[in-house]
Amino acid sequence: MKNYFFKAAVVALAMIVLVACGGDTQQVVEEAAQQVEEAAQQVQENSEEIAEQVDQAAAEAEQAVEEAQEAVEEAVTEAEEAAEEVVDEAEEVMEFETSITIWADDTRAPILSELAEGFQNEYGVGLVVEQVADINDQFPIAAPAGEGPDILILAHDRIGGFYASGLLAPLDLGDTAGEFLPVSVDAFTYEGDLVGMPYAIENLGFFYNTDLVETAPTTWDEVIEVGGALVESGDATYAIALTGTTYDMFPLQTAFGGYVFGQSEAGYDPSDVGIDSEGMIAAGEFVQTNVEAGLISDSLDWDTAHVQFETGEIPFLMAGPWALDRIREAGVPYGIAPFPTAEKEGQPFLGVQGFAVNALSENVLLAQTFLTEFVATEDVMRQLAESGNRPSAFAAVASEDPDLVSLGDAGVNALPMPAIPEMGSVWGSWGDAFTLIVNGEQSAEDALTNGGEQIRALIAGEELPEEEGEEETDE
Amino acid sequence: MAVQALKRFETGDGQSATLSNVVIRLVLLLAIDAFAIWFAVRAFGEGYLPLGIAIALIAAGVNYVILVKEMYPIRWMLLGLILMAMFSIYPILLTVFVAFTNYGDGHLLTKPQSIEQITKARFVPEGGSAYTWTGYSNEAGDYALWLQSENGDSFLAFPGQTLIPAAEATGLGELDSEGIPESVGDYERLNAFQVASDQNISTIQFGSELDGVQIRSPQEAAQLQPKFAYDEANDIINDLETGVSYTPVEGRWTAANGDELTAGFRANVGLDNFTRFFQSPAFRGPLVRIIIWNFAFAFFSVFATFALGLAIAYVFNDPEFPGRKIIQSFLLIPYTIPSLITILIWRGMFNPQVGVINRTLSDLIGIAPAWTVDPWLAKIAILIVNLWLGYPYFMLICSGALQAIPGDLYEAASIDGANAWQQFYKITLPLLLVAVGPLLVASFTFNFNNFNIIFLFIEGGPPIAGSPTRAGHTDILISYVYNLAFAAGRGKEYGLGAAITIVIFVVVAVITLFQFRYTKMWEEVGEGV
Amino acid sequence: MFNLTFRQRRYFSYGIRWVVALILIFFAIFPVLWILSASFNPTNTLATAKLIPDNIGLDNYYSLFNNPNTPFGIWIWNSIKISSITTVLSVSVTTLAAYAFSRFRFSGRENMLKAILLIQVFPALLAMIAVFTLITQFDSIIPAIGLNTHAGLILVYLGGAMGVNIWLMKGFFDTIPRAIDESAMVDGATHWQTFSQLLLPLMRPILIVIAILTFIGTYGDFVLARVLLKSTDQYPLMVGLFIFTSGQFSQQWGPFAAGALLGALPIMIIYLVLQDQIVGGLTQGAVKG
Repeated sequence: MKNYFFKAAVVALAMIVLVACGGDTQQVVEEAAQQVEEAAQQVQENSEEIAEQVDQAAAEAEQAVEEAQEAVEEAVTEAEEAAEEVVDEAEEVMEFETSITIWADDTRAPILSELAEGFQNEYGVGLVVEQVADINDQFPIAAPAGEGPDILILAHDRIGGFYASGLLAPLDLGDTAGEFLPVSVDAFTYEGDLVGMPYAIENLGFFYNTDLVETAPTTWDEVIEVGGALVESGDATYAIALTGTTYDMFPLQTAFGGYVFGQSEAGYDPSDVGIDSEGMIAAGEFVQTNVEAGLISDSLDWDTAHVQFETGEIPFLMAGPWALDRIREAGVPYGIAPFPTAEKEGQPFLGVQGFAVNALSENVLLAQTFLTEFVATEDVMRQLAESGNRPSAFAAVASEDPDLVSLGDAGVNALPMPAIPEMGSVWGSWGDAFTLIVNGEQSAEDALTNGGEQIRALIAGEELPEEEGEEETDE
Repeated sequence: MAVQALKRFETGDGQSATLSNVVIRLVLLLAIDAFAIWFAVRAFGEGYLPLGIAIALIAAGVNYVILVKEMYPIRWMLLGLILMAMFSIYPILLTVFVAFTNYGDGHLLTKPQSIEQITKARFVPEGGSAYTWTGYSNEAGDYALWLQSENGDSFLAFPGQTLIPAAEATGLGELDSEGIPESVGDYERLNAFQVASDQNISTIQFGSELDGVQIRSPQEAAQLQPKFAYDEANDIINDLETGVSYTPVEGRWTAANGDELTAGFRANVGLDNFTRFFQSPAFRGPLVRIIIWNFAFAFFSVFATFALGLAIAYVFNDPEFPGRKIIQSFLLIPYTIPSLITILIWRGMFNPQVGVINRTLSDLIGIAPAWTVDPWLAKIAILIVNLWLGYPYFMLICSGALQAIPGDLYEAASIDGANAWQQFYKITLPLLLVAVGPLLVASFTFNFNNFNIIFLFIEGGPPIAGSPTRAGHTDILISYVYNLAFAAGRGKEYGLGAAITIVIFVVVAVITLFQFRYTKMWEEVGEGV
Repeated sequence: MFNLTFRQRRYFSYGIRWVVALILIFFAIFPVLWILSASFNPTNTLATAKLIPDNIGLDNYYSLFNNPNTPFGIWIWNSIKISSITTVLSVSVTTLAAYAFSRFRFSGRENMLKAILLIQVFPALLAMIAVFTLITQFDSIIPAIGLNTHAGLILVYLGGAMGVNIWLMKGFFDTIPRAIDESAMVDGATHWQTFSQLLLPLMRPILIVIAILTFIGTYGDFVLARVLLKSTDQYPLMVGLFIFTSGQFSQQWGPFAAGALLGALPIMIIYLVLQDQIVGGLTQGAVKG
């Protein structure tokens, strides 16, 4: 039992050292090291006492002391090393009295890191870029705890939730507001307040293989006709492959008149769900007919569709700017065109990416200054636009990349992705309906009608506690 | 003799306490207590009430265990219990607490934070002026502003002094192209970043009480007044501009006409999250068939992984067998690679059109099963993938646990003429289950809630046609319920999520406790050895 | 049955076992070949249409090691450091507790065992937020174990040390006859001596197994680490790799696959080194009552 306590003490001490390892200040580490040394002495004294008392235990105790000493020594060295490291780090960071922390994704973090040095030298303010996966998940947890960044990068469809929670500080772009594309500023405006500064927009384009097709088809019938001929001649496996994400199918659906939410003056109207609208069903029927005819692929895998386009197995693909890198890398010759039409023109969704300021930051004004004075300049906006393959939201930075210009043309009439929370109720059932259509399990009408009902039930379900809940108690 | 030894076991007092022993124990205890008290006091000081209480409770427990003789066995696990209490149980209790709040989008802040955010807002009263500003500071760290109004008038402003029109200002340095001086007396011009670096800058009043301005954005300084004031006595927030009062209703500052202020706070909502969950459309869907598949999925996953893992451990554990090490190392590989990527690779391999499995099958025997379309094939595919992911775990465990079986039992058995199968079935398996049984239970539970594989591999699909709620043939309870509950919600709702977590925990706990009956049976087998 | 000598029968059995082994290895390795393929594929795809990609190249490996934003070496080192410390401490805690559960009879013993398992089955996803809050609060009291420190993360991992492995270890202890302890105690040995000198050596196989399990478990965790660590230099491997998957349609599967494969190597090496220790107990004739 003695030995147990003795070892437990060693473990406890080891824990203290361990604690010191991750330390912030040299002081903590030194204190811990000192404590460890003192305690080690104490431990040794105690153990000598024990050794005298119990012969049998003595040998083991000595050994244990040795081990403990070794462990302590090791720990102390380690702690010292850690302390040095900490000091080094501290020097690095403490160069600036104040600094701005930015959370960025893997695409933007490298660019911002590059910009950081110039910024720091010019203005004497530190800039710390942290590369964070899942910013959307981490930010609402970290910010209220006071651990959020000063600035974060986000897509416009998340601003509503964050702003209503008091996590985002409104921005005043002043005169520079006019230099951004109006649609991108609108997307970052929530209930009349501007809560983010856009830097890029993104939408799908209609990709075609220039080896297989000379000019892009302008109607969906033409797509099937041209693609069908290639299938017949054996040059292609399918005319086109769709991906499982209804986001990617949207330009086809809108061409037939389909919509997600009806538009009212106040924006999207969640009470008007268009998943089972006539146009959407027409799009579903078009898909189902051509899947049965073997002209549209019956696989809905996103990756597979892209690979098929990249290997020249299909001549057409609806894809976004994120696919540009891999399509270029694959070496397939391609062009990007506006979407084919059917009843009307096909419209993709429009997404806008931007910076926003954490309202709970201690440096709100500094962060705003950084955005409006440093980032919202042509030079920085150009650098942001140069990698990442997205057209800039800054009007003066016209993209020279012909692909981005074409994507911009394809997105002229793009519909902003609905930022209303009800959109969350739509994706699942909408995607399922098209899966059933492509699998041929249900007719387009049945699948979409059922999908629409599922969505309405979900949206209505939200109201339950307040309104319907009471009605139910009456029953 | 043995009886005496046993008695020592029972009392836990293996040896008479010596003086040094007691001293060490007391010193240690004092150190722990000193640390705990310091920690708890700091926690209370920072306003972390639950944390302080938790630390105090844990410290009290530690004292009890170290001081009370009967607690001797617990001392062996004291460190583990402290860590478990602090880092497992305490977070779980906090989660339970969250289930009774509306913590989530719109209610992410605490009430004081929400008041602080709201009362930060300022407005320009009627007739108030707004200017663009340029900042200056002297060596003493005092600030001054150069203000320019829209109609072109310029002023110099010092804290607490009436604004000085540009014409009357003295000590102005050279003016730049926009008419802004480079210096004012001993005040040097600053860039916007130097000004903004001071966290208090926006609270400084430049000018007198009558005409003073505050900085409110990198562009603008204006005659600002606080827009809202919190009235602590009545717990309301008053709009000083319009006179409207806002009272807190379920974590939202709400006016009489229903208007709400941005930035609600976490508030207690009682059982709302639970009622919402039980009233959600999820319970109008194909729940029974999802539960049946859920049990089947968990059972077959555990059964298959355990069977294969045990078989490998049993067959290849012979130290004489050539290549044993290399074989087992290769067989461990599935366990060493993050499942995120392996599940997606399997998903690609099972792709009915381009996946390697179907390409090979159609080349060899001319069939191409529709793995992702047919409900049964999808279920089989998912079980195969889960077998691949999970068998190395049991391979490892069984190869260790098999060593616990005394070799002489086998000798005795072969003398009695038992064949290999009988030896395995009568000796190996029952003894193995003593140690491994609880792990089977844990594995069952894990798979019962194995959201990741269901979601990454096939997203619960293929969809069930005509289902009143969105559901897929491979959906398990947790994937089905989470999808629906969160799809129906407004953004991130941690409160609702916690409520669902608790409900699912209760279900799983009941299943687990039910399975304990069998582990108990196994344990009794073990006691006999 | 067969008219074979003992030696022939043994070789026959080895042969069959090798055939089975090859089939199993094929099953185990095959998907990994595709990951290997993805790691050489510059197009960042996981689609498995072709085993040998068209533009085969080492770009992904190159970018892992030469991109200052993804300090791969530091990540691996962090992972090994965190996992090793966690494993040593966690196995110690587990072993001590399992000994007590196996050898002492005290009130609440069974309920404690059940409680340990039940705590483990609590769905952890949301408790993560509470853990974050807890560590944030630690941060303002003792920054050394607060956010963005490995020590804080390790402490949280150790919170799970009293887990299902206690059952495994206790089960193993239970199979060692009590008579061994009793005779030692009669000779005047203390509990600690019995535990450390008699039982621990016998426990070696299961200790190694649990150590490997703990190591792999910690090494593979990204859920906790992602929440508690914020600077790229502090990331363990898995959190670092997940950066590559953060874009919704721009996941960089190539570097991810390359990193995942390289990251698996330390585990493989540890397993190869320790493997003999697992089977060791058997050859020594383990338990002699």
